[in-house]
This record gives sequence, C-alpha cells and structure tokens, in this order.
Amino acid sequence: MPIARVDLMLAAMGAPHLSSQTTSLLRLAGASLARGAEIRIWTCGYATMLTAESLGASKPRNVLDWGGSYPSTPSLARELLATYPGSVSWLACRFCSDERGATPQIPEVRLETPMRFGTHMAAAGKTIFFGVV
Amino acid sequence: MADYLLVESQGGWLGPGTEAFLRDAVSVAERGDRVWLLLIENGVTGALPGHWPELATLTGLGTCVWVDGYSLEERGFDPAVVAGAVTVVDMDTVAGKLLEPGVRVVWH
Repeated sequence: MPIARVDLMLAAMGAPHLSSQTTSLLRLAGASLARGAEIRIWTCGYATMLTAESLGASKPRNVLDWGGSYPSTPSLARELLATYPGSVSWLACRFCSDERGATPQIPEVRLETPMRFGTHMAAAGKTIFFGVV
Repeated sequence: MADYLLVESQGGWLGPGTEAFLRDAVSVAERGDRVWLLLIENGVTGALPGHWPELATLTGLGTCVWVDGYSLEERGFDPAVVAGAVTVVDMDTVAGKLLEPGVRVVWH
C-alpha cells in the first residue's frame, strides 16, 4: 500500500512521561497543523502507551481538584485527529505495543509494523525524533 | 550555507550531553551556517543569567537564541529574567521555522 507524503513526521520514542516531550510533541503538532502542514505521528517503545484504549477518556481524579476532569492522552490524540481530519495520522508500532501490553489501541490509531518505519520516514519531508527508545 | 534549527530540551544538570550539544551549535555557527537555537522544556533554564556561557558565544556569531515562553511560564520563570539577547517565542514561531524548506532540525 503506498504511503502518502507528509510534510513532517514526529517520532515519539521511549518513555513519554520522563520529560515534557509529549507536551512539546503535541504542541508542535498542533502548531504545524494550524499552519497547514500535513503530519504523521509515530510512537515507539513506551510512547505507544499514550494511545492505549485502557487509559480511557480522562485521567484519574486530581485530589487537589476533585471536581475537575483532565483529558487522557488518548483523548488528546483524538482531539488532534478530529480537529485536523485528513491532515494528521497517528501510527503506533505494532511490535512495541504488543511487547508492552499497549493493546488494544484506540481505533483512531493505526498499528504499523516497524519494518515500514523507514518507508514512512522516506515519505516525510522532515522527521523529528523525540526521546530514545 | 545551511540553516539549522537546533533544539535543546534538557537542563545542564543531566550530564555532558547538553554541553556537547551547545558546543556543536557553536561549531556549526562558526563554520558559517545559520543557526536558530531553541531552548524548550528544562532547556529554558540555560537562558537564566550566568548559566550557559555558550549562549553569548552563539549570539556573538549571529545565532538567534529562542526561549519557549510556555516552558518558562510552566516553570514559574518571569520572561523578563532571561538573558537580554534571547527572544521569547511561542510554538507557532517554532513551527514556522521548522517547516521552512531547507531548515535542518535536531531535537536534543
């Protein structure tokens, strides 16, 4: 299956909460999409857990804000995909997801074999890596 | 001459990697390439006065040093306290530079 060309591929590798890299990735994705770019997000390693269906729609209650509700990372991914339909895709490495029990993924995310990572990179104008697997 | 957007996201306390990245930025600027250095996440601490002397070297070489305003605010820093030669930017500005054809990006 041919892979559509995109302007930018953002590859999130490794532990997504070790730093603020997930926040930066989502901010950059949103800013790029707002400028009309077409982007692809690829998660590997523990970053695949960002869109695991088991996380639900919201985070556990904040004891300091008992009545508040905070979106889970799958919800943030869904919001990005819904806000820019056709301009952004989200892929999760199948091997990494399976190995870490990060399945099932939310239906909006496509599982992809790591064997096609290079092909996806080649179809992107630029690829930026966040973190280390 | 090539254009580079180099992004430093880590604080200097995490080891020699950040220093090495900044030295690389200086090397790239010294050979005549155009460099935009973005400090983001914990990297914004490097813009506090007296922290990273490499920033003065870089600005002296014509490098644009950017500091992410969101990261500053998240960490409780008043944008006014960052060193005078840096520019506080938002992610839209970063995206604009990153998406420019020919700009090479490295995110550390």
